Amino acid sequence: MRIRAGVLFLAGAAAASLLAGCGKGTPAAQIGFVGPLTGDQAATGLDMLHGAQLALEQARAAGEILPGYRVELVALDDSHSPAQAVSAAKRLTSNTDVIAVVGHLNSSCTKPASAVYSEARMLHVNPVSSNPEISRQGFDNFFRVCPTDDLQGPAGARFALTRLKAKRIFVIDDVTTYGRGLANEFIRSAQVQGAEIVGHEGITQGEKDFIPLLTKVKVLGPDLIYFAGMYPEAALLIKQRFELQIPAKFLGGDGLFEPTLINLAGPQAADSEVYITTLGGDIRGLPTARDFVRDFEAKYGHLGAYSSYAYEATRLVLEAVRRAGKKDRAAVLNAMKQMKSYSGILGIHTFDSRGDTTIRTIGIYTIKDGKFQFVEAVGG
Amino acid sequence: MKKTAIFLLLFLIPFLDPNSYHIEILATAALYALLALGLNIIVGFAGLLHLGYAAFFAIGAYTYALLNLRLGCPFWLGLPLGMGVAGVGGVLLGLPAVRVRGDYLAIVTLGFGEIVRIVVTNLEPWTGGPNGLLGIAHPVLGGFNFGVDSRPYYWLLLVLVGGIAWVCARLRRSRIGLAWAALREDELAARTLGINGTRLKLLALGLGGGIAGLAGAVFAAKQGTITPDSFDFILSVMILAMVILGGLGSVRGVILGAVVLSVLPELLQGFSTYRMLLFGIGMIGLMRLRPQGLLGISQIRRELQRAAS
Amino acid sequence: MTPGDFFFQQLLNGLTIGSIYALIALGYTMVYGIIQLINFAHGEIFMVGAYLGLAAILLIGKVHPGLNPTAGLLLTLLAAAVGGGFLGLVIERVAYRPLRQGPKLSVLITAIGVSFFLQNAVMLVFGAQDRYVPPLLQVHRWQIGSVTVTLMQVIILAVSIGLMAGLQRIVYRTGLGRAMRATAQDPLAARLMGISVDRVIAATFCIGSALAGVGGVLFGLTYSTINFHDGYLIGLKAFTAAVLGGIGNIPGAMLGGLLLGFLEAFGAAYLSTQWKNVVAFTVLVLVLLLRPRGLLGERVAERA
Repeated sequence: MRIRAGVLFLAGAAAASLLAGCGKGTPAAQIGFVGPLTGDQAATGLDMLHGAQLALEQARAAGEILPGYRVELVALDDSHSPAQAVSAAKRLTSNTDVIAVVGHLNSSCTKPASAVYSEARMLHVNPVSSNPEISRQGFDNFFRVCPTDDLQGPAGARFALTRLKAKRIFVIDDVTTYGRGLANEFIRSAQVQGAEIVGHEGITQGEKDFIPLLTKVKVLGPDLIYFAGMYPEAALLIKQRFELQIPAKFLGGDGLFEPTLINLAGPQAADSEVYITTLGGDIRGLPTARDFVRDFEAKYGHLGAYSSYAYEATRLVLEAVRRAGKKDRAAVLNAMKQMKSYSGILGIHTFDSRGDTTIRTIGIYTIKDGKFQFVEAVGG
Repeated sequence: MKKTAIFLLLFLIPFLDPNSYHIEILATAALYALLALGLNIIVGFAGLLHLGYAAFFAIGAYTYALLNLRLGCPFWLGLPLGMGVAGVGGVLLGLPAVRVRGDYLAIVTLGFGEIVRIVVTNLEPWTGGPNGLLGIAHPVLGGFNFGVDSRPYYWLLLVLVGGIAWVCARLRRSRIGLAWAALREDELAARTLGINGTRLKLLALGLGGGIAGLAGAVFAAKQGTITPDSFDFILSVMILAMVILGGLGSVRGVILGAVVLSVLPELLQGFSTYRMLLFGIGMIGLMRLRPQGLLGISQIRRELQRAAS
Repeated sequence: MTPGDFFFQQLLNGLTIGSIYALIALGYTMVYGIIQLINFAHGEIFMVGAYLGLAAILLIGKVHPGLNPTAGLLLTLLAAAVGGGFLGLVIERVAYRPLRQGPKLSVLITAIGVSFFLQNAVMLVFGAQDRYVPPLLQVHRWQIGSVTVTLMQVIILAVSIGLMAGLQRIVYRTGLGRAMRATAQDPLAARLMGISVDRVIAATFCIGSALAGVGGVLFGLTYSTINFHDGYLIGLKAFTAAVLGGIGNIPGAMLGGLLLGFLEAFGAAYLSTQWKNVVAFTVLVLVLLLRPRGLLGERVAERA
């Protein structure tokens, strides 16, 4: 009796999941989107999903993408877990309706999943996993629309030394694949250029109390604090640094480039010599991105730091699908490889032998009057 | 006979259903079943509440990964070595832990679990730190490379689960198993009867740790890359949940528990952001329907009867 | 800053986070003391309390913008305490009571289920983004040499000590407390003596959860950002603190919380933030090896 109820529950869940995947009359061609939709990174994952959804919606409105097919987006959740990323990847590759994938936020998830897409010969466009090692695995189906940390780290170090005149730097990261990778790139470059790293420590994602660490930093008296991590922790570091009246300037990576950061840190603390390196230039300053920003904000309100990358990656995939002209993974991948260049909202992409974009602009921002303010762009 | 038939049927699934995602889910379920079987020895058989089991999974995974990357050790050698190192780890961490009892043991093991994970993260020159280890070799069997295809891993895991389940079932009925049951139900009485509690507890921790190490080595070989965030406290809790949901001490039960709790989130993928909310409701619902676990029977009574007869 | 000042400043830093751990640990310890149940969903109730506090602050700001800050703080704390207590009652009724006759560990599963549910419900209602908690009180600082003390630090410590004392009083000086202790010793005998065990357990959950709600508000006000994921880490730490002090013992929870706070602060100060949790857990293991029932835990005989 009771077992039956349990079985019913499971069967119900199974049936519901099947129903959720059902489409309309026209046959479907699907594009996968995978990112963290639940768990600690869900906020960023959802911002990205919105970008992907907008791209598809606009492409559909502009006319038929693939003759005879209705192009759809399948959104899957990897919960910021490498193992779940792999099973999501297999779910996509095993479904013959899925012809390409835009995927994964966290580098630790993109790495193992990329092997699965490669095996299935499926076009994989990654929006924002900036860890350089991912594209060094030699997968010819892998393309990435953001610059990598081996560009961002050194660009940050150059800015720190030349413009901020930093000589003694304290480095903090969030002990993730992304954070530690970026911190190491920064340190390597800063040391080569002659700066002294007075300390390097890792914090735990989700913690709030960094006052003991910052009290120590205050005693060491560096002239710059560099942080590689995400904005929730960065906001607290910036705020607590301000409250402790630490005079050191603050520089962080692209994980901080999120308007919520300013809200969380409070306008006063945020407006205290805080600088951020971002992947790509000033999205609001790019004429090519003006319509995107307008449409996105009209529809979803909040424009996340990585929304534009997910949008760009999805548009790139849709362009490859359009050029392929048929529902066939090999054809889509081939169309992508044949694409000499792609003119997107972030600029004109061409892709190197590893699949990384040649748009290598690192933008540098500061915070003034509660807003991000563009300082300069490095590289190109 | 029935078991052999079920096993054969499970073995044939990849031929009947070529969908590689379904096989991947089954392979993941089998991996969890292996972990649940191992933890069941510790929690279900010996009655030691363990909250840091993911540590042994991590030790097994990193053992194979490091041996492979540094010394080129093949998978089939790395597998028993991962098992051995994790088993020894289980005993070593158990030496101090068995001195405390009940829920205090839970927190000591939780502590060890966290310590192992943080140490793995911080020993960057060795373990790659948060960046993890990349390019771990997939298993090769007679010239056939497993690659990223889910099927060979599924078969391998199925054999391991079958083998370990067989051992577990025997173990439970053996003198050791009965001694564990006695220890679990009333430690004081068991000790008065001359049962060496410490040695038996260490044996359970060593065996359980070893099985997690086995699973870890397979996991590392299957993923090709490992990072410390795959081995967090939540994983320990989830494996424990599988054991309890299936029915503490029941070999078939914990396998079923592992299958249910690993397949359910996948079934709920269609609900995207509502997925884990529904999963939570599902866990509460399942437990309310079967408080003793899915296949939990009054284990104790049966064991006592067996012992009496 | 002299090494001495540095030490005292870090001591103070540890005291702040430690008081919050203590407050949450009180709820853990209370429930455990009565029914030997590790309430794994306790951290989630704390997190919901923080969001209830945020909602109350926003509501007060809208309905009665000019309200006296102290009154605002008290109202917010009250709202979170009532909301947390109610949530505790519901959880106990839905997820724990039906399983009380079953195996002891089965409630662990429902507790995890409740955690998943609450985390994701809050994420769906309030959004996945971290939320900013506007300050209720003016920032006050006192400077003693080069050591800084803030008003929030004083409030948190005062509230935790006050609630600990109040709790101690309830348990040892009231009829409800007597019923609780009786239930803790022997539920069956307590029932035979005319005590409504179900009600006592429900009351225990209610009080413990109300404390978690209060803790959530103070946490939100101190660090000014909250996230639906916050219950996990703090819950884990508070559980550790409760065991460190001797789970089931009310002053022990306070002591354990403060000690854990100090360990973390000094671990970060003299070693490295990356290793501070290793320091904390190592001390925990050592304490339990030397005193298997925690610092203030009594050496009670094994239950038969």
